[in-house]
Amino acid sequence: MERLTQPHSLLCLLALSLRLFLIAYGQYQDSRMEVKYTDIDYHVFTDAASFITQGESPYNRSTYRYTPLLAWLLTPNVYFTAVFGKILFVVCDVLSGMIIYRILCLQGLQSETACRFSSLWLLNPLPMGVSSRGNAESILSALVLSTLLCMETRRLTLAALFYGLSVHMKIYPVTYALPIALSLHRSAPTAEGGERRWKSLIRFIRGFFNKDLLLFASVAGGVFCSLSALFYHMYGWEFLYETYLYHLTRRDIRHNFSPYFYMLYLTADSRWSCLLGLAAFLPQLSLLCVASLAFHRHLAFTCFLHTAIFVSFNKVCTSQYFLWYLCLLPLILPHLHLSVREGLMLLLLWFSAQVIKHDLNLQFEAFLSVESALMCFLCSQALWLGPAYLLEFKGLNTFLWVWMAGLLFLIINCFILITLVVHYKPAHNTQRLKVE
Amino acid sequence: MYLVLFALLVFSTCHCLDNNEENQDPCGLLRQWIETSSMSVDLNKEGYHRELTTTVELSPDAFSNVRVLLVYRWPRGVYVDPFQLASMSAQRDWQILLDSAIDLELPAHQTSGFVTFVYPGLSKLTSGPLKVTIPVHGRYHMPSSDGEAFTFITIEAPELLLRTETCTRLSSLEPHAVVNAPCTVNNLTTCGWVQIQQNQMIGPISFQIPVGDGSLVVPVCGGTLLITLICCVALTKYMWKHRIVDA
Repeated sequence: MERLTQPHSLLCLLALSLRLFLIAYGQYQDSRMEVKYTDIDYHVFTDAASFITQGESPYNRSTYRYTPLLAWLLTPNVYFTAVFGKILFVVCDVLSGMIIYRILCLQGLQSETACRFSSLWLLNPLPMGVSSRGNAESILSALVLSTLLCMETRRLTLAALFYGLSVHMKIYPVTYALPIALSLHRSAPTAEGGERRWKSLIRFIRGFFNKDLLLFASVAGGVFCSLSALFYHMYGWEFLYETYLYHLTRRDIRHNFSPYFYMLYLTADSRWSCLLGLAAFLPQLSLLCVASLAFHRHLAFTCFLHTAIFVSFNKVCTSQYFLWYLCLLPLILPHLHLSVREGLMLLLLWFSAQVIKHDLNLQFEAFLSVESALMCFLCSQALWLGPAYLLEFKGLNTFLWVWMAGLLFLIINCFILITLVVHYKPAHNTQRLKVE
Repeated sequence: MYLVLFALLVFSTCHCLDNNEENQDPCGLLRQWIETSSMSVDLNKEGYHRELTTTVELSPDAFSNVRVLLVYRWPRGVYVDPFQLASMSAQRDWQILLDSAIDLELPAHQTSGFVTFVYPGLSKLTSGPLKVTIPVHGRYHMPSSDGEAFTFITIEAPELLLRTETCTRLSSLEPHAVVNAPCTVNNLTTCGWVQIQQNQMIGPISFQIPVGDGSLVVPVCGGTLLITLICCVALTKYMWKHRIVDA
C-alpha cells in the first residue's frame, strides 16, 4: 500500500489512466467522426489476427509486414474485444516508462530526479497518442528497454532473451549487437613491453570469446532462430519476405526525409544505382562502428546514437522512425551537462516540435543545446515541409528544394548529435578520455 | 450525313416499337435508359493526389432493376489505393472491383495500367444523378532527360455499361455493343452488358505532375555524397574525440 503512494507509482497510475482515457476517447471519435482516431495499421493487425483465428496465414492480409507473433498476441481482439490490442500497447508503453525509471535509479539518480526524467516518457503526448491509436511500437520500446535494464543488472540470459525477441519483432535493433558485444568484451592482460600490431589484434578478437558473450549470443541467437524457424515452418517463404526481406530490400524513390532521396530517384534505373546504394550505406556502417567503439561503456547512449545515425543516414526515412529512439532519450538527458535555460528551452522545443511533427508528418530529430541552433532547426523543418507540400499537393516542381532541405536536415541532425556527444558526461564509473 | 439520318431513323423506329410493346418487351425500358443517359467526368485537386468524379444521369427515374457499371481503364501513371478505398467504404455508396493487385510504390515505367469496375449503389438510384468520386494518385515518373519539369498523364473517361435482369436479348439493342463484365462486385461470373456509345464525346482528361531533372544527376549525386561524407567525417571526429574509456 505504501508503495502505491510513492511518487513514481502515482506517476505510472496517472500515465496509465491518461492513456486509457485516450483509448475511450478514440472509441468515441471513431464512432462519431469522419476522421478516425485509430491507426490504419491497427486494422491491419486485427485483420491478420482474425485470419489466424480461422487457421489461415496472417499474410493473407496484404501490407501485414510484421512477425506473426504480433497477430498471435492480438487474437483476443477477435475473441474478446477490439480494444484489447490498444490496452496491450498502452500497458507496454507505461511499462517502458517504469523501466526507464528503474534504469535511471540504477545509474545512481535520486528517485525524485529519476521520476522527473521518466515523466518525459510517461506524460509525453507523443507516445501516449501513438500507443492509444493502436501502433505497436511500444512493444518494441518495452523490449529494447528491458534488454538495457537486464544488461545494467547483469542478468545476461534474460537480456539476451529480450534482445532476441526485439530483433525478431523489428529488424533495426540488430545494430545493437555490436555495442552489446563490445560491452561484454573482456580484454586479456596486455603483454609486457611492445607488442606487434597483429598480436594485439588477435588478443582483441580473443577477448570476444568469453563466457558472458557466448551465453548472450547463443541465447539471443537461439530465440531469434527458433522463432524464425517456427514461423517459417508455419507460414513459409511469405513470413521471411514480409517480416525481414521486404524491409531490407525496400526501394521507395518517392520523396522522403532521407538526404539520399533525390540522388536515388535520379539514378534509379542507371547502372550506377547499385554502386551509389553501397556508397550511401558505407557512412552509415562506419558511423555505427565508431559509435560502438567510442561509447559502448554506456549502452543506452550508444543505442541512442545508433538509432539516430541509422535513421539520419538511411536511404528511406519516414516520421515513425523517430519513435525508435525517443524512448532512449530520457536515459541520456540526465547526463547532458547543459545550463538550466538551455535545458528548459530544449525541453520546450522538444515537446512542441514533437507535436508539430506528429501533426504535420515532419521528420524531427531532437534537442539542441544552443539557441541559434534551435532557430536553425525550426527553419529547416519549415524548409522541408514547404517544398514537400508544394510538390505533393500543389504539383509544383520543387524536387531540388526538397533535396536541399533533406541535406540541411542531415547537417542539423549531425550538429545535434555532435552537441549531444560533446555534452554527454556520465557521472560515475567512467571518465572522459583526455586526448590532449 | 446519310449515316446520321439512318441512325436517327433506326432510333425512332426502335422508339416507336418500344412504346408500342413496352409491356411485353422487357428490353424496352433498358433501351430508353441507353438512349437518354449522359455522363460527365471531372478531375479535382492538385499535385499527386487527385479526385476523379464521374456523374451519370439516367432517365426515366424508375430504375428498380437496372444495373449500372463504370469501367475505368487507368494508365500506368496513376494508381488507386485499395486500402484508402476500403477505409472510405462507409462514406461511399459505390463498390469497386480491381482487376489486379496494385503496388503503391512502383514508379510508372515499372508497372502497367489496370482496370477497375465500379458499381454505383442502387439505393440512391431514384434520386438525382449518380456520382462516383475516386481518389487517384500519380506515380513517380522517370526523370526527364531534356530538362522538362513536368510530364502529362492522360486518363480516359470510363465506359458506361447497363443491364437489367429481365432483358436477356441484348443483341436486340444494336447498334450498342454488348460486352462481358463481372455481374456484381461479389460475383466474378460475367454477364452481358450494353455499352453506351458516348464516351467518344467525352475526351480524355490529362493533368501534369512534376518529374525529376535527369540533367542534374551529376551535381545532385556529387552534392549528396559530399555533404554526407562531410557529416560522416565530422561526426566520427567528435565521437572519437569524446569517447569514453574505463576509469
